[in-house]
Order: sequence, then C-alpha cells, then structure tokens
Amino acid sequence: MTTRRDFLKSGSLITASLFVPQFLKAKGIESFKQSYSGKKIIVIQLTGGNDGLNCVIPYTNDEYYKLRPALGIEKKDLITINTEVAFNKALTGLSELYDNGNVGIINNVGYPEPNHSHFRSLDIWQSASDAKEYLQTGWLGRWLDLQNENALPHHLIEIDDTLSLALKGEKLKGLAFRNPETLFLASKNKMIHETAKQVESDNHTHSVVDFLHKTLAETTQSASYIYNKSKIYKSTLTYPQHEFGQRLKTIAELICSGSQTSMYYVSLPGFDTHVFQKGAHNKILKTYSDSVAALCSDLKSNNQFNDTLIFTFSEFGRRVKQNASQGTDHGTANNVFIIGGNLKKAGIYNSMPDLINLTDGDLNYTIDFRQVYATLLENWLQQPSELILKKKFEKLQFV
Amino acid sequence: MQLSQKQIQHLFLRAGFGFFPNESAKYISKSKEQIIESVFQESKNIRPIAYLPYPLSGKEEKEGVGGFQILKMILKSKKDTEELNLQWIFKMTWTQAQLREKMTYFWHNHFATNTPFAYLMQEQNNLLRTHALGNFKGMLLAVAKDPAMLIYLNNQQNKKAHPNENFARELLELFTLGEGNYTETDVKEAARAFTGWATNTKGQYVFNEHHHDNGIKKFMGEEGNFNGEDIIAIVLKNKQCAKFITKKIYSEFVNPAVDVERVEKLGDNFFKSGYDIERLMRDIFLSNWFYDEENIGCKIASPVELIVRLKKLIKLEFNEDKTALEVQKVLGQVLFFPPNVAGWKGGENWIDSASLLIRLSIPQYVINETSIMMQGKPPFEEEDKGNQKKYRGKVRADWKEIVHNNTFKNNSQLFDELVLQLIQCSPTKINKAVIEENNAQTDSVKKIISVAANIMSTPEFQLI
Repeated sequence: MTTRRDFLKSGSLITASLFVPQFLKAKGIESFKQSYSGKKIIVIQLTGGNDGLNCVIPYTNDEYYKLRPALGIEKKDLITINTEVAFNKALTGLSELYDNGNVGIINNVGYPEPNHSHFRSLDIWQSASDAKEYLQTGWLGRWLDLQNENALPHHLIEIDDTLSLALKGEKLKGLAFRNPETLFLASKNKMIHETAKQVESDNHTHSVVDFLHKTLAETTQSASYIYNKSKIYKSTLTYPQHEFGQRLKTIAELICSGSQTSMYYVSLPGFDTHVFQKGAHNKILKTYSDSVAALCSDLKSNNQFNDTLIFTFSEFGRRVKQNASQGTDHGTANNVFIIGGNLKKAGIYNSMPDLINLTDGDLNYTIDFRQVYATLLENWLQQPSELILKKKFEKLQFV
Repeated sequence: MQLSQKQIQHLFLRAGFGFFPNESAKYISKSKEQIIESVFQESKNIRPIAYLPYPLSGKEEKEGVGGFQILKMILKSKKDTEELNLQWIFKMTWTQAQLREKMTYFWHNHFATNTPFAYLMQEQNNLLRTHALGNFKGMLLAVAKDPAMLIYLNNQQNKKAHPNENFARELLELFTLGEGNYTETDVKEAARAFTGWATNTKGQYVFNEHHHDNGIKKFMGEEGNFNGEDIIAIVLKNKQCAKFITKKIYSEFVNPAVDVERVEKLGDNFFKSGYDIERLMRDIFLSNWFYDEENIGCKIASPVELIVRLKKLIKLEFNEDKTALEVQKVLGQVLFFPPNVAGWKGGENWIDSASLLIRLSIPQYVINETSIMMQGKPPFEEEDKGNQKKYRGKVRADWKEIVHNNTFKNNSQLFDELVLQLIQCSPTKINKAVIEENNAQTDSVKKIISVAANIMSTPEFQLI
C-alpha cells in the first residue's frame, strides 16, 4: 500500500498547499481561510446513473421518441417548460420550483474519456479527478483542508452511516451520521467519551496514535455540537416518509438551527434502471422531487433559501437508445440541477443534448463537471477552486 | 536471539492475523530463528478455498453458455461472492498457514479485481494463494492470464483492430513499475502485445490468434514482435519492478514510513533472487530492525485485520452473515469488493469520525449486549426500498481464553497484563484510571472481561 510519506511526496494537494500563502497573498484573498460564511451547499448524489433524458425531456425532438419507442415519456405525462423542453410529471415539485425561478438545469455535463463503471465514475465525480487519475481525497474534503486550523468535521456533513470519498480531505475528513442522536449516544459511551477527554491537543507530534486521538476528540466535539444544534429547530413540515425525505429533513433542521456547516452531502440510490425502467424511475424521481420541494419550503419559511444552493448530480446518464429489456444502459454526459433562492441564471442554462451526434451511442459532454464545481466554490463560497480542483476550470454563470 | 512477548506478537500480527490468547505461551521459550522457521513451515501447505462449485453443468461446459446463462450467473454472483468473503475470513482466522493467508490478502489488494463472476473470483483468490510465497514472475504471468483479471481490465476487448489499454496501463502503473517509470508509448505498445489474450465462456484462458497483433512493437527500448509474455519478461528485467514491489511489501509488513536504504537493499536481493517472494519475506522477518520499537504498533489495522484479530482474541461472531458484511462495509473494506483497481489505500484512509467510532464501539457493543445500528451504502443494483426498517445487527463474543490467560490480583497488575497482550504501540496515553473507573465489576472474571473490553476500545488497540 502507498505510504503516507509517498502520498505526501506525490500528492499534489500537499504540494499545492505549500504554495498557499504566496498564492493567497498574490490574489489578496486571505479571507478564504475564513471557515463559515453562512452560505451553504447541499450536494445530492443520485446513485446508479440517473436517466437525465427522462427527467428533462426534449419532447419535440423526434429522435428522442425514435430511440426510445417504449421508454420515451408520453406527452400526457409531461409538464412543458417551453416549445422544446418539458419536465417528467414525476418531477412536479421541481417544476414548481422552476416556475419560481429557483432551478437551473445544466445540460451535457461530463468529462473526457468517460468511464461506464459505477464505482469508477463515482470516484471520478467525487474526487474531481481526470478519468485516468486515482485520487485519495474528495473535492469537498480538499475544501475542508483549506479551512482554518479550527475547522472540525461537522463543517462538512454527510447524512449516512459511512463517509463518501467526496468528503475525505488529507488533513481532515467530514462527519457522517444518519441521526444526530445515535451519533451522540455512540460518542457518549462512557469509555469512549472519557478516552476522548483525555487528549490534550498536542499539535506538535504527528504519530499515528496522536492522529487517532485527535480524530476521536474532534468526533466527540462535533457529535455534541450537532446534537445540541439538532434540538433547536424541529421541522413541522411533512416530508416524504422515504429515508431520503427524512435525511433532507435532518439537513433542513441543522440549517435552520444555525449549524455552522457549509456543505451537506446526501445520496439517493436506485437509479440503475437496466430493466423495466419507467415505473421504477418515475417512482424514485417523485421521491426526489417531493423531498426536495419539502426541503425548499422549509428553508424558505426560515429565510434560509437565499443562502442555500442544492446541487444534484449522478455518476453518469444513460445510453440514449433504450435496451432490449425496456431499460437503459450506462451512459455518459448528463444534466445536473442547481436549486436555490438566489440564482444568477435560472432556467435551461445551455442547449439541450444533441441526439444525433453520439459517440458509441452516448451523449457528448460540452461542460466539464469540474466547471460546475469551480463555479460553486468560487462564486458561491468564495473559495480558490484551482487549489481544490488542482486545475483551473472555466466558471459558469449560474451563481 | 530471544524475542520479547511484544516482539513475538508483532511478528504474528504482521506475518499473520495475530494470536489466539493461549497461543503465545508455546513460542516464548523458542529462539527467533525457530519461531520464524515454524511460521514458514506452517505456510508450506497450500489449501485452496473450494467453497463455490464450478457453475457450469457438463452439458453447458461441452456446448458453451449463452447470454442467458451468463446473466443468471451474474445475478447470483453478488450473494455467492459475499459467502466467499465470509469463507475467507473464516480461513484467515483458523488456518495454520497464517503467513500464506496474509500474503494472499496482500496480493488481493495489489491485484485488486472485481467482477460479477463469483466463481472466477474464488479461482483468482486460489491463484494468488498458490503463488503467494512463490515467484513473483510466475504470479504475474498467471494473473495476466487470469479470467477475472482479463474481464476486469477489459482485455477481452483488447483486439488488434481496437486495442484496449486498460490492462497494459495498470500492469505498468500499479502491478510492476509504478507511475513515472514508463511512457505512454510503452502502454500503447504493451497493449498491442496483449491483444488476443482472453477468456472463453467456460472461464478458461484462451489466446485468440486472429485478434493478436503480430506487428513489431517498441517497448522500453527493445524492439520485436512481442507478445504478453515478452512484455512481462522485459518489465521484470527492470530493477525498478523489484524496488516497487519491495517498497509496497515493506510499507505493509514493516512500517508505512519507508526506510529508503533498507528497501533499496531488500529490493536488490529480491531482484538477484529472481523475484523469490519467500526469500524477501525471510529477509524481513529475520532482520534485527523488524523488531525495533519504531516498527512495532505503527500501523493502523485494516478493517479485515481488526475483525480477524477480534475473532482470534474473543471469537467475535455476528448474529447473521448480513451483519458480518455490514460491519466490513461501515469500516470501509469488503473483501472481493475493492474500491477500484488501485485497491484500498490503507493507513489513515481507514479512519474518519464514523469509522473510528464504530471501531471503538465494537467491544462495547459486545459487553453491553447492544445492537449495531449501522448500515453501509446499498449496492448499485439494489432497487431503492425507501423507508426500510433500520437494521439491527448483533455481535457476540467468547472471553473464555482471555479470562483463562489472566488472573486478577489487583487492578494495576490486571491492567498491565492485558495492555501487554493487547496493545502494541506505546500505551502511555491510555489512562489507567479511566479504564478502571469504567470497571465497576467485583467478580474477578467479569473484571478481566471488562478491563480487556475497555482496552480494546482505545485508539491504541487499532494499531498493530
């Protein structure tokens, strides 16, 4: 296995961070070190490869119905946006947000040399790497690394029992939990709690034992912070009973309680629709859309909607042509959704997918997903995206 | 030379998965050389895992299988692979051939593979076990022809007309030389040499002559009508390969902080020996530096190492297979399901708030008889079931051997005794008072159990 020392040698983040002071000075952006601006991002990962073409539908494009005779969404099940584009009716909640100017749809987002494996493509999206590059840290984790020394795991939260690569930094990792109370109780186990208290924060040694003690101390601090915050605001809104709805509710409660968390991460599985796609896909889309709608109205009524951006992506889209089992196979470029009360450019951001010029039956990307990340980091959180993404990406204009 | 108890434990934690509590007594009177000799002797035996039967019927084997049968196999494969996973954990715990198993585990990560064909995964695992202490050249050739690997790295699609570089690239980058020690041209030319290497539907290696590129290739300064074997031979002529493998073995078996000079010397010998893996491992375990304080307890146990160690120490068992697999998942390592071809990164990558909390909680779950309420992320192929009932898994343990191995005279003596048995790194940051305070038991058996469990709930116990 690669050793830490190896990684330090080869890891460009560390190399990059050696240059941080000069870089920041040159740009006059000392303030990037500030941890919490009040602006928040919620990242929603639709796991399995969401069929974006059946979410935002080019309903006047004959090619669409030609390639998907059984799978194309029928006209009666559409909510039209304009003369070319319509939402799948399952996304009613999303379309209402759209009508209020709270939704941006960016088409054809992907990356060069696309990978069709779930695992690999998720890795690429989560670590913001090139297709041939294996990174051990995630883009949100590297954001956390750049925050000041007082940063704690709860500044970056995943609502799940396990932490995704996206939230793993080199110096610090985000906090994963499904339920603030369960997390708190685990950290309150007498033995664990007492051990955590023992640690004097000794930043000068870097042994593995110290690393473990430090992680434990941070964990218990964050666990009790989150637990105490979670008691402040309890949502009275009705969220879908689905686990995903409950996870969004937890996020809303933390935001409305004033938790100093800049980024939240949550995933919704069930999008790998190879067989009999239509019913299952519409069902899961409705869960997504209803849950997001509830989240947004919760945020709105607590005056948090203008400070929050919800970014939805999937590791890839589906192949344009339906397969022989009334489903779709793994594809490439896809649309992503940006939702918030304060968008600079809402609506359909760029041209709809070109269904004629395909590569091996797959859509071609026109926007690198890291352009979306760069925009979120720079324009929304005022963070130096080049350091985090390890390359400069041209920003978009949605915020 | 005599080894201390801690040094003996160190050897067995690195050359295997640790001790059963009553096992250490039999080594304490032996010399270092005797102990090491017995470690290698006990690993002479190669016993494959023969859990999954060959999936094709006689008729299918004769006539070949079509898309439908293959699909059927794929659908069943995940469950089969999970069962295979638990079989392997069982083997790791109970086999006498500890070093062979530990090496197999190392190669499993080095040649990280994941396919939806459980039987082929079992066969690959057996292949790695066979070569685990043999010759690296033989292993590499076998892996290059291994059906699971051919499928995983797309060599099935590597044909003269459309070369696929996936296997060639990983061969150079991850399996032999490491990044920066080859060029893009080398990758392209190597890919051409491996064209036509494939597996048939019976799960056997075949060479498809008509897909093979018989042209002249230029690879690493040499030129010729190379095939895959030639490429491997050229790669192995490069000393960098011996260094690369040695370094990885050193960081896994000795210390993640690599001592450059030592690795250089070990690598030289490994190269001179013609890639004799057993010889390399003997060099390491027979050295004096292997037993230096700085190399003991300096490594974060992987989830699998932690689980198997607990199985040996306290017979940790889960109420059902699902729980055993969920625990691997929430700790971040499921055997046969590596995150990608680069394998598990290990070290501090194992640890985040959630995974650390679970590690420390497991012994507490056991003594408090509480359930584990953790759940890993669902697999891609699983349909979303929405609001599923929260899963509660149970763990149980048998403390008999630990109790048998210790006596209670007073708190301080018991603490010291158990720390010596359970903690490899410096125990100075373990607070005796905290552990004793959490030990309200009066009965001496219960006292031993409670103190042992509390020591196992420390960050220090995570280090081997």
